[in-house]
Amino acid sequence: MRMTMKMLWLVLLLLSPGVARAQDIKLPADVEKLSAKAKETVEVTMDGPMLRWASKFLSAEDPEEAKCAKLVANLKGIYVRSFEFDKEGAYSAADVEALRSQFHPPVWSRVVGVRSERDGDNVDIFFRMEDEKMAGIVIIAAEAKELTFVNIVGPLEVDQLADLGGEFGIPKLNPKSLSKAQKGDRR
Amino acid sequence: MTIDNDRKRMEDALKNAFRRQSPPDGFADRILARVAKQNSVQSRPGQRDSWLRLFAQPLRWAAAGALAAALVAGGIHYRQVQYKAEHERVEGEAAKQRLMLALRIASSKLQLAKSKVYEINAGQTENRDEKE
Amino acid sequence: MAEPLAAEKAADVAESDFAEIVHRHQVMVYSIALHFLADRSEAEELAQDVFLQLHANLASLKSDDHVKFWLRKVTGHRCIDYKRRRALPQVGLDDVPESAAPAKARDPLLSRRLRQLVGSLPEKPRMIVILRYQEDMAAEEIANVLAMPVATVKSHLQRSLAMLREKMTRALGEVTT
Repeated sequence: MRMTMKMLWLVLLLLSPGVARAQDIKLPADVEKLSAKAKETVEVTMDGPMLRWASKFLSAEDPEEAKCAKLVANLKGIYVRSFEFDKEGAYSAADVEALRSQFHPPVWSRVVGVRSERDGDNVDIFFRMEDEKMAGIVIIAAEAKELTFVNIVGPLEVDQLADLGGEFGIPKLNPKSLSKAQKGDRR
Repeated sequence: MTIDNDRKRMEDALKNAFRRQSPPDGFADRILARVAKQNSVQSRPGQRDSWLRLFAQPLRWAAAGALAAALVAGGIHYRQVQYKAEHERVEGEAAKQRLMLALRIASSKLQLAKSKVYEINAGQTENRDEKE
Repeated sequence: MAEPLAAEKAADVAESDFAEIVHRHQVMVYSIALHFLADRSEAEELAQDVFLQLHANLASLKSDDHVKFWLRKVTGHRCIDYKRRRALPQVGLDDVPESAAPAKARDPLLSRRLRQLVGSLPEKPRMIVILRYQEDMAAEEIANVLAMPVATVKSHLQRSLAMLREKMTRALGEVTT
């Protein structure tokens, strides 16, 4: 695998009590140390009770917040760890592989594994299924100057989560628009 | 042709009516000032979301000060209830912001994965078209 | 062709480019909001929010073309959402009173009249007209920005123009060759 990718975000997933407890997800020690090198670190750890409590402050009148409330209603935990670096090469392929290797069958299924040779960005998405229902998702996004790890525990509509992009002002992706952006606008 | 002339006139009139207009003076500076203000609250070495704690702290101090003044005047129990409610509201707002930040990050990485898949598919389609 | 940014390499948009991006695109964003909302202070507030949102998403934008696309898209969606949240009563084109005196071509009053008429359109057709005539965008580009089928965009545009033409013809008087 080419490792010309830039560091982007590393999001570390902490285990949440409950469903995920039996499958402890640990941030590899070398990855833990990345916070010392990072320009910025985002760390969010919210278990079920915290999610419930935070949801109370989401406004039903705000479309963004209403969608978030619906999304988190049945979740058991959200964990995010993200490292942003000044330079490329702050983390190694081995660091990312150490993280990825924790998610394997039969508990986890890798549903997306993207390796972009153009800019080196890699994204992996793993689903955890229980009784044929979604019980959790892990996203590992390794970019040039950023490494991101997300774990969401509980039943989740992935489309709803992806759709939040539009609510946050992030354009929802349209393959036609992407190819046009590559070709350039007419103006 | 009359119809073509009318259409042309309408098009020209609409382009004229909807010419771009400059924003008020200082518009860009106000945006940059808001960004700078956000950054000054957010940036702590290694902890992006510590701005939430930074923001919550002055509010807690302000609430505590109001409570002390009210204790002097009397009505201790009522003020204690008010303080607790305000404290909870501030903490709750901070938690809400952390939650939305987490969801925002997750959503953006899903979008990133989508974009990569589309890129790859678009590249494969172009290669196939070229070969044909 | 994609325009290279001030930064030499074709890399992600860096935060240091943000000020340049604001200066480069502020007129476009503000104008879309102003023409849609017809209120300067609301337009400024919305445009500021768009740029703040841009700042939060800089890392995911790859080129100036992508930035422009993103800004048009977000501004368009925000304008439409803004109006819908406020649920202002829609005035049909037929309900907008026509001016008593016929207006001449290239008359500033004509521009104002056109903006009023477009302002009475429902949100999506209104934004389609603005993107078409302010930004000179093709129907396909508008469809991408607003995430609508191209046929729908063309249909909205056609109907809106037909109604505008009818109203303006009455205002301008009959045209004879």
